[in-house]
Amino acid sequence: MSGVKLEGIVKRYGAVEVVHGIDLEIKPQEFVVLVGPSGCGKSTTLRMIAGLEEISDGECRIGDRLVNRVAPKDRDVAMVFQNYALYPHLNVAENMAFGLRIRKTPKDEIAKTIAETAKILGLTEYLERRPADLSGGQRQRVAMGRAIVRHPDVFLFDEPLSNLDAKLRTQMRAEIKRLHKRLGVTSVYVTHDQVEAMTLADRIVVMADGNIEQIGTPMELFNNPANVFVAGFIGSPPMNQFEATLEDSDAGPIAHANGTLIQLHGQEALRGSAGRDVIVGIRPEHVMLSAEEGTASIPIELDLIETLGSEALLHTHVGDVPFVAKVETHGEIGHLQGINALHVKPARVKLFDKETGRAIGQAA
Amino acid sequence: MAMVDKKSSAGTETVVPKQTLAKRLDRIQMHIRREWQIYLMLVPTILWFIVFLYKPMYGLQIAFKDYSIFRGIAGSPWVGFEHFGTLFTNDQFIRAVKNTITISALNLIFAFPAPIILALMFNEVLNASYKRTAQTIVYLPHFISSVIIAGIVITAFSPTAGIVNTVMGWLGIDPIYFLTQPEWFRPIFVGTGIWQEAGFGSIVFLAAIAGVNPSLYESAVVDGANRWQMMWKITIPSILPTILIMLIIRIGNIMEVSFELVILLYQPATYETADVVNTWVYRQGLQSGQYDLAAAAGLFNAVVAFVLVMTANTLSRRFSRTSLW
Repeated sequence: MSGVKLEGIVKRYGAVEVVHGIDLEIKPQEFVVLVGPSGCGKSTTLRMIAGLEEISDGECRIGDRLVNRVAPKDRDVAMVFQNYALYPHLNVAENMAFGLRIRKTPKDEIAKTIAETAKILGLTEYLERRPADLSGGQRQRVAMGRAIVRHPDVFLFDEPLSNLDAKLRTQMRAEIKRLHKRLGVTSVYVTHDQVEAMTLADRIVVMADGNIEQIGTPMELFNNPANVFVAGFIGSPPMNQFEATLEDSDAGPIAHANGTLIQLHGQEALRGSAGRDVIVGIRPEHVMLSAEEGTASIPIELDLIETLGSEALLHTHVGDVPFVAKVETHGEIGHLQGINALHVKPARVKLFDKETGRAIGQAA
Repeated sequence: MAMVDKKSSAGTETVVPKQTLAKRLDRIQMHIRREWQIYLMLVPTILWFIVFLYKPMYGLQIAFKDYSIFRGIAGSPWVGFEHFGTLFTNDQFIRAVKNTITISALNLIFAFPAPIILALMFNEVLNASYKRTAQTIVYLPHFISSVIIAGIVITAFSPTAGIVNTVMGWLGIDPIYFLTQPEWFRPIFVGTGIWQEAGFGSIVFLAAIAGVNPSLYESAVVDGANRWQMMWKITIPSILPTILIMLIIRIGNIMEVSFELVILLYQPATYETADVVNTWVYRQGLQSGQYDLAAAAGLFNAVVAFVLVMTANTLSRRFSRTSLW
């Protein structure tokens, strides 16, 4: 299997630059997810890897080969499209065989490959059906089957699950993950859904406005977001963010936000930063209902409780800024009604520079 | 009491209550009240159908009567199928039917694929301004009156000053008076039809091509297909439903060879290959005053067209899942 290396990749449409010189190295057999909001350049980047968009500047390598000027068919990549791109006039077997027939693969070999792939994807009984006679999940599997039969060096997925309903999306996500484990093909996956990114990726590339904001494993991004954008994008519900000013105290640094004082014990690197304007970030999952030794307390007035079953979302405010906490219910929510303070370990509190939005050095 | 409709599904029988007629009428009334603007817009079309297509059907009965304009439709005596008997023993009518079918068959073979080929060619043109210019040029003849088209054709094929005979003269070929020779009528007629309508007809197919999902092409590119393969394996199969619908419509009009152009281009010397049912009906009905015989011929035409379009529709639905209704 080959890796993919992007060096200073730029995409321009006329005078408008939409991807601004991104660098990314994807290791062989790695599953990398490009995630970001609509218009961030993730699909354009994927299409440049596929060869469907010309690269305006920079270098794209698949394995050791520079592929900037190589036709898509010669890049040894297979792509799964958002709307499946199944040929409506061909049945499942013919759809899967399309690429192989174009490449003049012997008929018996095609039949064998299709039978094997259909078995892996659970499509054996649908081989004679046309796409119109299949469910969304089955169509998605056919689209993947069409990519798999080619035995490519790199799989490219362009938001392949976005047309499916929530339940099917979860199911297909697991199937894609299993398939990657089984086949071990280098995969680049584009999505705007951070849950998909977190569940599927070996590494996530967060993009915004044509730039890479951060590259890391799902947990690195979750625990140590490089900036406020990543902090807000990764995690559901997103990280709570509010402005504060740092102050020094005998017990250590404190973040002062709209009358709320948040202890930052252990973040000794912040000593001497008194007066610095920061953005405080606290993950909803890191909020606790009861105080422990050294925890910072945030006095609150509860606005709303959203019950999710095993968990509940507590909606409140820090000053004027909405604040959400995600807590366990243990099967009931009665005990949540009278809560007037939330608690968080100082080490869990993330700080970002107010001007640049970049993370300020802190304990993990 | 509500009627029930038994439907079998996966081996089990479910009982589905059927709407009573009263309930259905209520729903239609509610719909009309809610969407009255849309129904109002439909009125002119319905009126057009009634005045120009349904009301004239009353006059069809003269095909079965010894019609006299003095006695009127109601006053003329019934003669049963006598006129049809006359028609099928009339050599000129039989010849007109044969000519109609032959010209329509030639049109189906040569003129029907022409706009499809043109649309496929336009689709492959990458230079946008060249494409626009070429499209405008081929659309133009459609907007020219048939009289002018016929004039251009007559001039072009004239044995004295026509460009065709002039070029043939340069090549040392003797001039031919094309429009007086029966064997040349059909090629000239079909060719003129292609020149006049292929461009405009390609719009429907271009629209169908524009509707093909671009991801199909991108997927094919990644799979290694070239433009030729994409045209054969994606574009043509994707526009096949449109092609079939247009074919069914064309088959429905098989007895309706372009009356104006035939009238303008033919002459007694070419009746042998040029006289079609419509021109025969025109001569018998309007010029000879045999309205009943002409009505019988027109009715025959309509029945054949109806049977053809029904057959084509059924076959298309059975074999390609595409049909007009």
